[in-house]
Amino acid sequence: MNLYKNFYVMNAMSTRAERKQKIVLPSTPFFTLGIAAGIAVIPISNALKKTDATNIQVVSPNALSMLLNDLYIVLSVSLLAILLGIVCAFYLEEWLPKTNWVRRFIESHVAVLTGIPSVLYGILAISIFLSYAGTLKVINGAPAAQDTGARPFQRHTTLFLGEGLIFILMVMPVTIKTTQEALRSVATPVREAAYALGASQWQVLTRHVVPIAFTRMLAAGCRAMARAFATAALLIGTYIWHYTAETDGMSSRFLLFLGAALFLSVCSSTLVEIHASIYNSDSA
Amino acid sequence: MNHSIETENLSLWYGDFQALIDVSVKIPDGQITSLIGPSGCGKTTLLRCFNRVNERYGNVTTEGKIEILGKNIYDPDVSLPELRKAVGMVFQRPNPLPISVYENILFGLRIHSPMRSITRTESDQIVEEALTSVFLWEDLKDKLKVRATSLQLEQQQKLCIARLLPLKPKIILMDEPCSALDAKGTLAVEELMEILAGTYTFLIVTHNMAQARRVSEECIFMFLGELIEHRETQALFEDPKHEKTADYVQMRYG
Ligand SMILES: Nc1ncnc2c1ncn2[C@@H]1O[C@H](COP(=O)(O)OP(=O)(O)O)[C@@H](O)[C@H]1O
Ligand SMILES: [Mg+2]
Repeated sequence: MNLYKNFYVMNAMSTRAERKQKIVLPSTPFFTLGIAAGIAVIPISNALKKTDATNIQVVSPNALSMLLNDLYIVLSVSLLAILLGIVCAFYLEEWLPKTNWVRRFIESHVAVLTGIPSVLYGILAISIFLSYAGTLKVINGAPAAQDTGARPFQRHTTLFLGEGLIFILMVMPVTIKTTQEALRSVATPVREAAYALGASQWQVLTRHVVPIAFTRMLAAGCRAMARAFATAALLIGTYIWHYTAETDGMSSRFLLFLGAALFLSVCSSTLVEIHASIYNSDSA
Repeated sequence: MNHSIETENLSLWYGDFQALIDVSVKIPDGQITSLIGPSGCGKTTLLRCFNRVNERYGNVTTEGKIEILGKNIYDPDVSLPELRKAVGMVFQRPNPLPISVYENILFGLRIHSPMRSITRTESDQIVEEALTSVFLWEDLKDKLKVRATSLQLEQQQKLCIARLLPLKPKIILMDEPCSALDAKGTLAVEELMEILAGTYTFLIVTHNMAQARRVSEECIFMFLGELIEHRETQALFEDPKHEKTADYVQMRYG
């Protein structure tokens, strides 16, 4: 018998009758597949319908500003997803009982989503982008009268949302999983000791669990970021390739593409390295 | 005589498994009471009822009444932090928090008092007092900043007792506090308990019958979730009324 099987569960004075009526949901990955298909299909079909591109002209694209701009988007979306993921992991691990159906539902999907290689997400994002690309027009050195105040590389909202969602879907499950692992690595006796001294759950979390799990959570964030950068490398390379079509020659486009992809890949693998070194120093 | 802990028909289930069956017990004030019985008979479970840490397991159902210091601990107006402040617990494996010795001792006090309300001089004094009462001050006074988990096991267990003291508990529950210690450590902890008894009510689970005989005034024998016999230690060991008690006591004492 596993003594600690429900260890993280609070508020246990449930009656036996209550426990009898547990909801059992099939924890299959079909939901995930549905979500993925939905994300792929909805914006693409939207893109096919919309051809009005008058207000989404891109003014004076230049490779560096595009790169920075998109990097900015990737970074902010991923950071947001990491924060959300951490909050989500805390909620699942520390507040919901292991048997709770919401927790089982999310955990089974997290398991599936973390198993998908980031390249696949990248391909999905590129396919969405390309289906929109036709509606984006590049103007090199637009006349003042036509300048609508659009920033370089401003994109269609739906496109942005679609890709943001992909990054969230890619980064959040990894964060949730690794953060949960970090929280679980905090030994039970530590929690017990603190609870037995009268600490509230909040105090146990803030004074012991978080400080102990912090380095691992940092490592978790690095890993999730690495995943985002790996996909961003593919995506941003494609953007550059596309937007420099009217301004640059073939070879310089190719060099830009390669440079951006390489730069981001290096970022990604550096983050993986940092993750590994934090993780090792923590368990040592 | 007053009773610190009183239960009436206490039953407890883990899922569908009943671990405590109609336990009614009265633990006297200011004494050491020991709790013996074969493994798995529910000693730890009973102990963990008294500060309500059992609930954390999640699949626990409790029935019956538990009164601690004259108050039913399942009353809705009972505050868990206050209950756990009054009822300290020492675990089977020493579990100091992975922070400094100094902060270990202050942890309980810090969570029960407003932020930054304890001055440096106060805290120094509290730490010295607590460590002195468990006879660790001489050994540890130069190691206050050391991480508590790096101490010897015996010191860790004594520290686990010391960190309860600043909270001024009324009752100290101990779950086989010496099972991780060697003979010398065991004696040291026993000695400590005897000195502290009187100020605190001790309820100690032990596997070691010699220990139960040495330290406790009253002794409770449990078997498969039931309380079989509860008498003066001497009487329980020398003249057990119940067959099962006799078997258990003689099995080890042949
Ligand atoms: N969290 C738990 N979930 C399910 N069963 C448990 C749990 N804790 C203890 N038990 C069971 O309850 C019984 C009493 O356990 P315990 O109180 O630890 O015994 P003791 O301390 O006397 O050895 C055992 O049969 C044990 O398997
Ligand atoms: Mg036990």
